[in-house]
Amino acid sequence: MRLLLVLALILVLAGTILALVVAPTEAVQGVPQRIMYVHVPSVIAAYAALLLTALASAMFLWRRELGWDYLAHGAAELGVLFITMTLLSGSIWGRPVWGTWWTWDARLTTTLILWFIYVGYLVVRAWAPGERGARAAAVIGVVGVLDLPLIHWSAILLRTLHPQPTVFRPEGPAVPPSMLAPLAVNILAFLVLLAALLMLRVRQERVLGRLVEALEGAP
Amino acid sequence: MLLKDLRVEWRTREITTSMGLLTLLMVIILAAARSDPTFAPAAMWITYAFAAAVSLGRTFAPERDHLAALRLAPLDRGLIFASKALANWIVVTAVQVVSIPVFGALFTEAIWTRLPALVLPLMLGGAGLAAAGTLYGGLLAQARLREALLPILMLPVILPVLIAAVAATAAILDGQPVAAVRSHLQLLGTFDMLFATSSVFLFDALLDE
Repeated sequence: MRLLLVLALILVLAGTILALVVAPTEAVQGVPQRIMYVHVPSVIAAYAALLLTALASAMFLWRRELGWDYLAHGAAELGVLFITMTLLSGSIWGRPVWGTWWTWDARLTTTLILWFIYVGYLVVRAWAPGERGARAAAVIGVVGVLDLPLIHWSAILLRTLHPQPTVFRPEGPAVPPSMLAPLAVNILAFLVLLAALLMLRVRQERVLGRLVEALEGAP
Repeated sequence: MLLKDLRVEWRTREITTSMGLLTLLMVIILAAARSDPTFAPAAMWITYAFAAAVSLGRTFAPERDHLAALRLAPLDRGLIFASKALANWIVVTAVQVVSIPVFGALFTEAIWTRLPALVLPLMLGGAGLAAAGTLYGGLLAQARLREALLPILMLPVILPVLIAAVAATAAILDGQPVAAVRSHLQLLGTFDMLFATSSVFLFDALLDE
């Protein structure tokens, strides 16, 4: 596991250097475009984490083995972290480039709602510790992901209803080859970081579980 | 199961009263803030969503301290969800009915004249609110958490219902036929079915011991 952390550190450093120095400056947007090297990996890591939460939650509800719950809980925490990073970096990127901090684009709306759903997961875990809370949270985790396509569908509906700013391209330009390598490195860096932190967190929970069991007798 | 449904419904006088009064208050407050007729669809669904989110937490209040008894009942636990959700849907519908005269009077009479066309969005949207409220209400009861958490859990998830319902209501009040809002109604219907089915299964896992 320590190896994974070291690897993550190396990749993040390499990715940062590539993003800030090596990657070419984009013609239209200029320097702010470099936020992409944080924003895109963040959203990929976020969705990976949340998918993991949903799967682990489902497995926990099915098998009732605490290991699945530890995984789900850790993944949800990291998922919220990466969604927060996604929303903040996206917002900061949007201000100079789109002229606005926010817009009701389908993807932004969906991501924002996802944040609330998984923060709800964490609130339930915080206020209902132990196995009961774990089960409740697992349901939240599963329903959240099931609801995702519907949220996205309705967000597209919302988008067609709201007037859009005229100078607006949420899709952004296609990524030219010279930027692909730095982007790929950063995506890998974030995913390895996610894996490393997740392993750390799961181990923490495992040890904590054993400690509680030893102190209080049967759980 | 029907008997249980009716029995549960009788007990929901508490939910009906609190939801009804809260709804009336919200209509009045929202109308006082902005009585523009184009605001009516949003006002209606904000009211229904918040009233449901605040009141449906009481769904499992009678069983709160006796969840063990509920688990031992010779019933498929999915049915417990189904009967509670159905009862809640009836409550939500009743509250909607009571609110229609007030909305019409304070915002626009189109709400009255277009009522037949509004029935589908109102019922499908109400069903979504009831299903979500029942699932998360049960979840909170099982985890011995405060009912006050229900809005936090429920509101993000029902965003599709709100968006589709407001859009459909606005279009219909504008004079468009029901056929024009078919895709909105499809969204609502899909949400209701997806939520109801998954809740039936999840309830089983939730209450299992």
